[in-house]
Amino acid sequence: MARLQVSLLALANLLIPVAILVFATGFFPYKPFMPGLATYEDLGWEGKMAWTKEPDPKFDKLVFMVVDALRSDFVFSKESGMAFVQSLIRSGSAIPFTAHATSPTITMPRVKAITTGSIPSFLDVILNFAESDTTSTLATQDTWLAQLKAREGGKLVMYGDDTWLKLFPGFFERADGTSSFFVSDFTEVDNNVTRHVPDELLNSDWDAMIMHYLGLDHIGHKTGPKGPNMVPKQKEMDGIVRQIYEAIENEEHLLNTLFVLCGDHGMNDGGNHGGSTPGETSPALVFMSPKIKKITEAMERKSPIEPKANFEYYRIIEQSDIAPTLAGLMGYPVPKNNLGVFIEEFLDLWDDAADRVRLLLHNARQIKKIVEATFPNLSFSDEFVEDMHCEGSLNSGQELACKWQDIVRAMSSVASLHPQIRVEYIYNFCRTAQNVMSSTASNYNVSRLVLGTSLAFLSFAFTLASLYRRLRDVSASGIFYTLTLVLYCILMFASSYVEEEHNFWYWATSLWFFYLFISDSREQWFKNFIFHPAIMLLFLHRIARRWNQTGQKYAGADDIAHSIIFLGRNSIVLWSLVGATYMDIVLRLAQHVARSLATFISDQSVGEAESTEGHRFMATIAILPLGITAFVFKMAFTARDAPELVLGLNEELLAWLDSTALVEMARMVFGGIALTASWIASAEWKRAVNKKKGRGNGDFAIALFDLAILFLMTQTKAQNIPLYLLFRVQLFFLSKSRSLSTISIRDSNVQLVGYLNLTPLAITLTTLLLTQSAFFILGNSNAISSIDLSNSYNGVSGFNITVVGTLVFLSNWAGPVYWSLAGITLLGSHGKTQRYIDEGELDNRDWIKKEREHLDRLVRQEKREGEMRSGWAGWEEHVALLTLFVGASLVSVMTACTVLRQHLFVWSVFSPKFLYGMAWSVAWHFGITVGLGALWWWVGGW
Amino acid sequence: MAAANPAEKSKSQATPIDLLNYDTAKLYTHVHPILLLSLYFYSFRSIVADPISTLSRTLLPLGVLQIAYVAICLPPTGSKDVVVEKRKPGEKKKAAPGKLESGINGKIIPAFLSLILSTLAATPLLFGILILFGAPITTHIFETGLCGAHIAFLSTIPLVYVHGVDGEKWKEIVGLLLPIDEVYGCMIGTMFGAWMGAVPIPLDWDREWQKWPITIVTGAYIGFAVGKLLGGTLLKGKRIKFE
Ligand SMILES: [Zn+2]
Ligand SMILES: [Zn+2]
Repeated sequence: MARLQVSLLALANLLIPVAILVFATGFFPYKPFMPGLATYEDLGWEGKMAWTKEPDPKFDKLVFMVVDALRSDFVFSKESGMAFVQSLIRSGSAIPFTAHATSPTITMPRVKAITTGSIPSFLDVILNFAESDTTSTLATQDTWLAQLKAREGGKLVMYGDDTWLKLFPGFFERADGTSSFFVSDFTEVDNNVTRHVPDELLNSDWDAMIMHYLGLDHIGHKTGPKGPNMVPKQKEMDGIVRQIYEAIENEEHLLNTLFVLCGDHGMNDGGNHGGSTPGETSPALVFMSPKIKKITEAMERKSPIEPKANFEYYRIIEQSDIAPTLAGLMGYPVPKNNLGVFIEEFLDLWDDAADRVRLLLHNARQIKKIVEATFPNLSFSDEFVEDMHCEGSLNSGQELACKWQDIVRAMSSVASLHPQIRVEYIYNFCRTAQNVMSSTASNYNVSRLVLGTSLAFLSFAFTLASLYRRLRDVSASGIFYTLTLVLYCILMFASSYVEEEHNFWYWATSLWFFYLFISDSREQWFKNFIFHPAIMLLFLHRIARRWNQTGQKYAGADDIAHSIIFLGRNSIVLWSLVGATYMDIVLRLAQHVARSLATFISDQSVGEAESTEGHRFMATIAILPLGITAFVFKMAFTARDAPELVLGLNEELLAWLDSTALVEMARMVFGGIALTASWIASAEWKRAVNKKKGRGNGDFAIALFDLAILFLMTQTKAQNIPLYLLFRVQLFFLSKSRSLSTISIRDSNVQLVGYLNLTPLAITLTTLLLTQSAFFILGNSNAISSIDLSNSYNGVSGFNITVVGTLVFLSNWAGPVYWSLAGITLLGSHGKTQRYIDEGELDNRDWIKKEREHLDRLVRQEKREGEMRSGWAGWEEHVALLTLFVGASLVSVMTACTVLRQHLFVWSVFSPKFLYGMAWSVAWHFGITVGLGALWWWVGGW
Repeated sequence: MAAANPAEKSKSQATPIDLLNYDTAKLYTHVHPILLLSLYFYSFRSIVADPISTLSRTLLPLGVLQIAYVAICLPPTGSKDVVVEKRKPGEKKKAAPGKLESGINGKIIPAFLSLILSTLAATPLLFGILILFGAPITTHIFETGLCGAHIAFLSTIPLVYVHGVDGEKWKEIVGLLLPIDEVYGCMIGTMFGAWMGAVPIPLDWDREWQKWPITIVTGAYIGFAVGKLLGGTLLKGKRIKFE
């Protein structure tokens, strides 16, 4: 590539993160929050309403029990195990709701919504993984915890999920945090909470006791909502509710205690959460106290009941309504950033209608402040506004201004106006404000969306310009690449194809492999066409795509990774395959080490040193400890993370595995990989320096590739590890050079790089198809809920955002990383062994002529490969084509997000896709394709 | 990749297949896809309701129609030189000679052969290809098999009828080396249509017809008609180049 084209390509790559940043700030705008704690303010109309003091608080203590992923039907349905809670509902001591949780339905943003009453933005998804980041704590925000703590002698205690400890550092008098490190832990996490309950119920010093149980969520993730442990766990939770409720009934100091039981989110049919299906957004919410019998008399108190719609039990309220309701019931000001509305049922606790109006007006005034800040041009004063137009079509801001005017009018009218009318007007304003402020429409910065999309388009255009020369030679691979690109960009507008994106890649890859078969058959018919390498590739691809069922439509359907082949007693099959995969990698690494031994030991003046049997033996001995440690780590980790996968193993072995120290072992593996890499590097460097002229055949790139695979295996779930063996066979078919007897003896002016006559463009296209497919083959999808965090703490004892973030990325993108690096080694023909000519294999009729043609051809091919390896041009073109894809996909995803921003699915489908797009284009494209790829290409030329 | 190869040109010297040169053939070739598509869409509702039994029932009329098509319109294998004659420009059209003599025997055997081969060889092969391309393997075995049979009847009956069972010929067919004609267009169109038929399956329209393998079979039928039309007219005589 000429200098101009390289600069264009560099520019295009630099534009990508800029475009993403600009777009993201418009799509997930940073909502400025109001700092400081709210205090009671003048409401106005004091004289008219004859208000003298704040309404009496109805409760002075709070027990807040969160059961993670407690979906509504787990409490309210006939199948529920929570009989005691249901009996409380029937007796009127409990008011049940379904508390609608907005997407993203993961724990941290939900805790934020529950405590602040605000609706956390999608940015919290990212911050959820950056929990230690101080900007995301709620220490400085107004929450009901802060309000309770600010009271005289206010004390809080907390037991359970340490998300709370991270969000509220230094808030708790006593606390014991549990972390959901292993989802296979169904009991310990909960026992660590429950053991504190009896003592705390005897303590009278706290104002609020918060409990957060994780066990039920873990059961969901492991076995789904219908798993065998689900109902027993519900019964266990029910027993704890009974214990606490009976203490409230009997203990003097707990007399005025409000007991809240809720889920932070629900779960889908697969037991995961993060998206916005009804199951995920419908957690249960129950307020319990003997005192609320007063208001439940007139209510229907049936339980269990049938849902009105999917998971819709009783009345649906917003999760953010919890914060202002607690404020009213416990007697403190509504938190400043709250968008929730006081739950109407509880108004009846106050006999005096003026108190009810006062309570609600506090809520309304607080919300009005946020509304005013959002619509600074509109009037929200307490005076009548004469010229306000409230007829015809209004935008949401004007509608709110009018509804506020209704409140002003109602409050200012004659004192004898029925209080219920005032209540209605206030609710009307609050609920509209809640809808408007939480709806997406008012939050976008459309000009930034357009600017970001345009920048992405500019990047795409620059890349296209840098490829200008390439565009002129049309080839079938080029057409295939272009069609893939165009079709992908179109499909990004269809929500179901975003959810089922894997189908597109599997579909395109299948045709590509079949095309390779046809293309090769045109030149030379392969005798056993069923075993043609391209058909074998297709066959292996067919197995791989069945490995993990992914996507939404058929989530939870049968697949290989979760089938009976690997589970329970059969786990020995899985571990044999895993062992074989480790064995394969150890043998490969041993070869690399043997070569380095040969380099170090042998006489340098000779130049190229070949490894001997002895070297290989020593190398195997040297590399074996690393392989064994890595394998044992995988087993020990799996024994704790997914015990169902080690059931078939020996008891003593399991006991020993349980006693191992995971963090240290992971560090040993990582350290061993680094050590081996530097050892081989120094040998290869020496070899490269000693070489008089020419280039090596890229053995070092292969060595690093094999080490990288060992690292990726450490970051991969056990049931996916056999896939690396399968990938290896695919790579073999892709890279194996045609044996001499079958090389068609014809002149060709086309660059032949490997087997299957893959041109560089075809290699790039194969890389693209396989990186994308591999992402889904390993079980990922475009849903937030499919992000796998289990391997993100390997070797990490504390919390380091960079390290954990990198590990999260590498464990979820292990497949794409594999094929990205494999693509580079294919492109550079790294590690190709020297060919030799076996005359016997040649057709003996005019073999001399043919042999000459062979040799000519081979010499030319080797020369081309050598040239390809030594220069950067081939790599630059590879990167340019992949940049083109990233640019085009970003343009498409961003346009889809912009155009469909009012669409029903924008938060459940398109925003997660954009987040994934960010990861693909920044972490994968920048970090792997460009960053690591450049390193590989460079060392490949040593 | 291939066109630059001199050896390849020598390999594919085949000429496109012409229709039999009489009026019935020229008329029926246009009626045939309409008949096929009407048959298919007439039974579409029942295919959606009960794929297995309807797809197996429609297989017989499909076979009959296809045999009728090849017998009426196409030159049977080996007879190409007799029937297809080159006319000089301006020469008067002659009625095809020897139509009756070559008739029964020359037609019955290839027609029978193509039916047998499509059922016994092409159907299992296409079943395998469908599985390789992602058809379910633990369930829907009969659906996939019938889908393969329909594709086989659509694509291979005419091909076997005109090209016979010559291995070299079939290697060229698989390599997409033959010049495009109506029969080759049928095959390519059917395959491509079946492949494109997978596109609507993941969509969230919740329609009954999205289930396996209805979209694939539909794609195959539509692809057959389109491929036949294009192959017989616009693209006739063109060669597929991979460069
Ligand atoms: Zn949670
Ligand atoms: Zn969870």
